[in-house]
Amino acid sequence: MHVIYLHTLAGNPGLSPALEQLVAAGIEVVAPTLPGFDGISGWVPPHDHLAWLTEVWDRLDSTGALPCPVVGASVGGMFAAELAIFRPEAVTALALFAPLGIWADIDAADPYAIPGSQRLPMLFASNVPIAFEEQYTAQGEEGNVARYLAQMAGASLVWPIPDRNLDTRIHRISQRALLLWGEQDRIAPLETSKRWSEVATPNVVQGAGHLLEWDQPEQVGAALLEFLKEGGR
Amino acid sequence: MKALWFHLMPYPGLDDRFDREAKSVWVDLDRSFFDSDVVTRSYHEYLDQLEHAAASGFDGICVNEHHQSAYGTMPSPNLMAAALARSTDEAAIVVMGNSIALYNPPTRVAEELAMLDHLSKGRLVAGFPVGTAMDTCYCYGIQPGQLRERFAEAHELITRAWSEPRPFAFNGRYNKLRYVNVSPRPLQDPRPPVWIPGGGSSVETWDLAVQNDYVYAYLSYYGYEQGKSTMDGFWDYATSHGLDDNPYRAAFLQFITVAETDEEARRLYKEPVEYFYQKCLKIPPGYSGAPGYQSEATYRSKLSSQVRKAARSVGNEAPTFDDIVDRGWVISGSPDTVRQRLEESITDLRFGHLLCLMHIGNMSDELTKMNTKLFAEEVLPKMRNRWPDYEDKWWPQACM
Repeated sequence: MHVIYLHTLAGNPGLSPALEQLVAAGIEVVAPTLPGFDGISGWVPPHDHLAWLTEVWDRLDSTGALPCPVVGASVGGMFAAELAIFRPEAVTALALFAPLGIWADIDAADPYAIPGSQRLPMLFASNVPIAFEEQYTAQGEEGNVARYLAQMAGASLVWPIPDRNLDTRIHRISQRALLLWGEQDRIAPLETSKRWSEVATPNVVQGAGHLLEWDQPEQVGAALLEFLKEGGR
Repeated sequence: MKALWFHLMPYPGLDDRFDREAKSVWVDLDRSFFDSDVVTRSYHEYLDQLEHAAASGFDGICVNEHHQSAYGTMPSPNLMAAALARSTDEAAIVVMGNSIALYNPPTRVAEELAMLDHLSKGRLVAGFPVGTAMDTCYCYGIQPGQLRERFAEAHELITRAWSEPRPFAFNGRYNKLRYVNVSPRPLQDPRPPVWIPGGGSSVETWDLAVQNDYVYAYLSYYGYEQGKSTMDGFWDYATSHGLDDNPYRAAFLQFITVAETDEEARRLYKEPVEYFYQKCLKIPPGYSGAPGYQSEATYRSKLSSQVRKAARSVGNEAPTFDDIVDRGWVISGSPDTVRQRLEESITDLRFGHLLCLMHIGNMSDELTKMNTKLFAEEVLPKMRNRWPDYEDKWWPQACM
């Protein structure tokens, strides 16, 4: 069995401990880096949401992993939901961790209104994991440029607010779905989860921020594993 | 050489509470810091000052665009330019300018500037800035990574709208118009002179000016010494792309304060200068560094905009008047002192258009007009004949 994992606003530093539980259980995790987040020189953000979807779907198709269960977190959750809406045959089950793409008009933090050095801690309920610290530590000029381009990719997906009108189409999601949300999410506060309730009942993860699979890996990994196993029965 | 009088129109009523409580002078400054009566009075005084400058012999008067800020209270420079077009007769009306990526469709800018050209009887200079990150990305919600592409598309649309002889269809990424046929067209044929203002060393800004034979206008808050590297970079870029070194290809903004003596200048101008540098540039780093606002090429160049420099200075010790003058951010002193320092700057940086910022911070109306008058009478006449061997091809014919 295999699943696709689509990463968060903060990039793709490698599998979280939550996803490593899947690997330990014999599930292959295909985790492509979203366009732009790989920091390749010359990349420019797609000019609109449809162009973004096209680039992402091209990348997913190139993995050869579809159809399969798709797990998406943050901006990755948005793309996973869009895939389930527009290409339902490609998604056999859908797990979403605090997906973006629908905005609740409540007091949410703007990760781009603070210095870059303060941006990463905003995504977690507690300490920034070492994997992220290492990713965001400058590695010479090329490393700096790659990091800058990755941040540009992230910003272009949520600017000026992380809403891409998914509320008008999530009723088309028919796959079995899991929805997890960090209680202390500052980017997409918990209240936002109610707007996804027609996809699945939100499960609140205590002690977790926007990147809940890093803040509470055991709880998130266990919930995900159970969800995937249920689908296999 | 030409001298132009440039107004930022800052809000002059920020008090100690601003220092204590406000995070930023831009984007999300609480409206309780503004007094409507002060805004009303300021607008009228500021227009008076621009008219006073035109009457005092400045070659041009300049307005510009900023949003949601006490740094500059002029969201629409075109409104101010319209008033000035009717109240002045000879000075060039320099709109410095419209942030063209913000307008949908940008033909609105083409139309309004054409109207201004007629209202001013052909005295318009059209400035096309990319705009600050605060104005464009934070206040107007443009995705930072799209800003320059949107700007380039808007530039193409506006210039074609002014020059194409017949209606045409424009099929851009961001603007799709089946019928482009703006009316009126500008009075100047084929169009008003175009200047490209910039606040830093953007490779794309230089390239736009060079490729289209426009004026590059460096809007420096940090004076001659820090302007040197940027202007040298521009001239290297221009000459390496086959352009001549006509100094009228360039404009440079300089804060200037003049009094009878150096000591008197310090006494008169200390407060408004410190107001500007301590309050009007209070911009947290988060608002100046939107990822993608700088292109990859510019990011690589390691040359950052002055707004980023200003942003980095937040939290540092506020510069005093003496620091500011010593560093050359403001040229201040007697007419002889000011003339001497300006002549060095004009020669070393090589520009034919001096943008004089002579109302600074919360400077009073009376002091602003005195500053303007002293400069016009005691400094400007002695600098007029700089660059006698060069023709200014980037100036409205009606103002020659």
